[in-house]
Amino acid sequence: MEDFKPIISDCIDGSRKAQSMLYHQFAPKMFGVCLRYAKDATEAEDNMQEGFIKVFTNLKNFRHDGSLEGWIRRIMINVSLEKIRKQHLLYPVEDVAIYDSVNFSDDVIAKIAADDLMKLIQQLPPRYRLVFNLYVIEGMSHQEIAKEMSITQGTSKSNLARAREILKKKVHENFGEMIAQNNYTA
Amino acid sequence: MRKDKNLDELFRDKLLNYEQEPPAYLLENVLAGVSGARRNRKIVFWRIAGVAAALLLAFVAGWQFNIWNGQDIKQPVSVSQQIATEVSPDVKTQLENAMSDNHQQVPANTQLAELVTESKVAKSNSISTIKTSKSETIISPVEKLTVAASTESNLLKPLKSLFGLIRQKNEPVANLRQAQKSKKMMIDINEKTIDQQIMEQNQQLMLTENQVKGKAKWSVGAQVSPEYNVSRSSHSQVYASNMVSASANPVDLGGGISVEYKKGKRWSLQSGVYYSGMGQSSGNSSYSNRYANASADYASNLGKEYFNAPVNVDAITSKMMLNSTAGVIQFSSVPVGLVLGTNLEDKTLAASAVVISDTRFIQNFEYIEIPLYVRYTLLDSKFDVEMMGGFSSNLLVGNETYMENGVGRSLVGSTKDMETMNYSGTLGIGLKYGLSKRIYLNVEPRVKYYLNSLNSNSSVTYKPYTIGVFTGLSYEF
Repeated sequence: MEDFKPIISDCIDGSRKAQSMLYHQFAPKMFGVCLRYAKDATEAEDNMQEGFIKVFTNLKNFRHDGSLEGWIRRIMINVSLEKIRKQHLLYPVEDVAIYDSVNFSDDVIAKIAADDLMKLIQQLPPRYRLVFNLYVIEGMSHQEIAKEMSITQGTSKSNLARAREILKKKVHENFGEMIAQNNYTA
Repeated sequence: MRKDKNLDELFRDKLLNYEQEPPAYLLENVLAGVSGARRNRKIVFWRIAGVAAALLLAFVAGWQFNIWNGQDIKQPVSVSQQIATEVSPDVKTQLENAMSDNHQQVPANTQLAELVTESKVAKSNSISTIKTSKSETIISPVEKLTVAASTESNLLKPLKSLFGLIRQKNEPVANLRQAQKSKKMMIDINEKTIDQQIMEQNQQLMLTENQVKGKAKWSVGAQVSPEYNVSRSSHSQVYASNMVSASANPVDLGGGISVEYKKGKRWSLQSGVYYSGMGQSSGNSSYSNRYANASADYASNLGKEYFNAPVNVDAITSKMMLNSTAGVIQFSSVPVGLVLGTNLEDKTLAASAVVISDTRFIQNFEYIEIPLYVRYTLLDSKFDVEMMGGFSSNLLVGNETYMENGVGRSLVGSTKDMETMNYSGTLGIGLKYGLSKRIYLNVEPRVKYYLNSLNSNSSVTYKPYTIGVFTGLSYEF
């Protein structure tokens, strides 16, 4: 693991050079994180900017017993969560419509580019997007998600199922030809 | 289930370490934000230090002011018996027979002069000198309310535009039509299921509400309250022996303008300017045993039974003083229409005369209050419940004593040694009901307790407390 102690120390002292270096080290990955939680690139940019300002102003609180990347990542997620809480409010709209289950081979998703998958996630309603990200990508349990978002575990599970169904439907709509081709070749 | 896990894994594999280069300008924004945050921290520190210094300065100044004031008037009330001894004995009447039943209270050799000093001024004259200051005093808070009402009408203008904005936001059909103008949006709408559209509309609505709520940092309001004063006082023995007991005015009027700054979701700081009127009335309503024996005599002569207000009259200047529970009432002269019994020969009596007419003395005190309250929201919903508490500086702006008798009410003097600046503590529970997004109806029972004696006379400790229900409107912005 890279030793960030000297650069962290310089950042705390207010060195712009050190801050730029640290930013460049983590910016692409953190922008990826912010993109997943945002509805578009503009919101992701706002979140990342706010997140990095928090990182630099709270760097003195970082304990060197854990990974710096994990710590910065957590700040980005928290900022994104807070933004969604403030702007969108996690308004419960559940079980309004029943989605037809769509089946297709996992190979199809494997062929879809990461950029396209990112766009699909961004199109999810805010709460579904949050639960999907926290459960699937961050690996949090429903109990942890429920606590984080002030909802019940049942709601978290239901939201995840709904998110999956919407994603499958979107894949089917956007990449239908690819599926058909895949079925034909199979 | 397994298919779901596969789907999850595929998304995780592709997106967990997904990287994308952010726009170059973001770094500049971040660095500018960091230096801005550092500067803000410094400004906040100096601001807090400034406020602390100002509060300390105000406290020390108030304290010093109190001490200087006290030095001028820290003389205990001396009830002179000189007049009683100087009274000419030419009109003495022996009262042994009349007092035979009251040996324990009055010495046997007590002689009471029959000289009754009665004002010879005609009633018409008395009426003409009656001042209407009391009625003016009562009008002043009403005037304040009028000002508050006109402020509120100005505040209604932005409110109307706000209602218009909300109505506009609440028209999904209009929004939908607008959206349909854009070709891209049209495709999106076709793709979206019904519930997604509902969700988006909900989000838009909630976003609007949130923006409106989020911006409300300040609140101004106007309140008015009936104030019930409970008199609390203690006195030295010498003072109390010549004092008339008093009862607080049943209900006085208070109110004012408040300004509130919200700090966070639940805490807020409140200040403002309040008017507070309070008072008490003394006179012949209560009965002093000390003068009970004399009363029998005067009652037989005058057909009246009002003898329990002992007063001191300076024979030369005709200035009169009366010990009340709130302090010594100083009269500029013996009021017109007041009937006094003088030439008391009881050497044990400190007073030189007693009031023998049907008279009440009403002491009114008016304060301008500058409070600093902290409020905490216990329940945040349509019907908010808040706890509030804090301290106030009270500036004495009115100190009048009125005499009330058969011919009416007249201004006769003031209470001596009243502190110009006082400090009080307040506790209350606020109930707030949202009439709209910006306007709230407030009902707030409060208890105010004076921390220092309102009178600087060392023989008097006068610390009343006030119970009021402040009712009014507030506007958030």
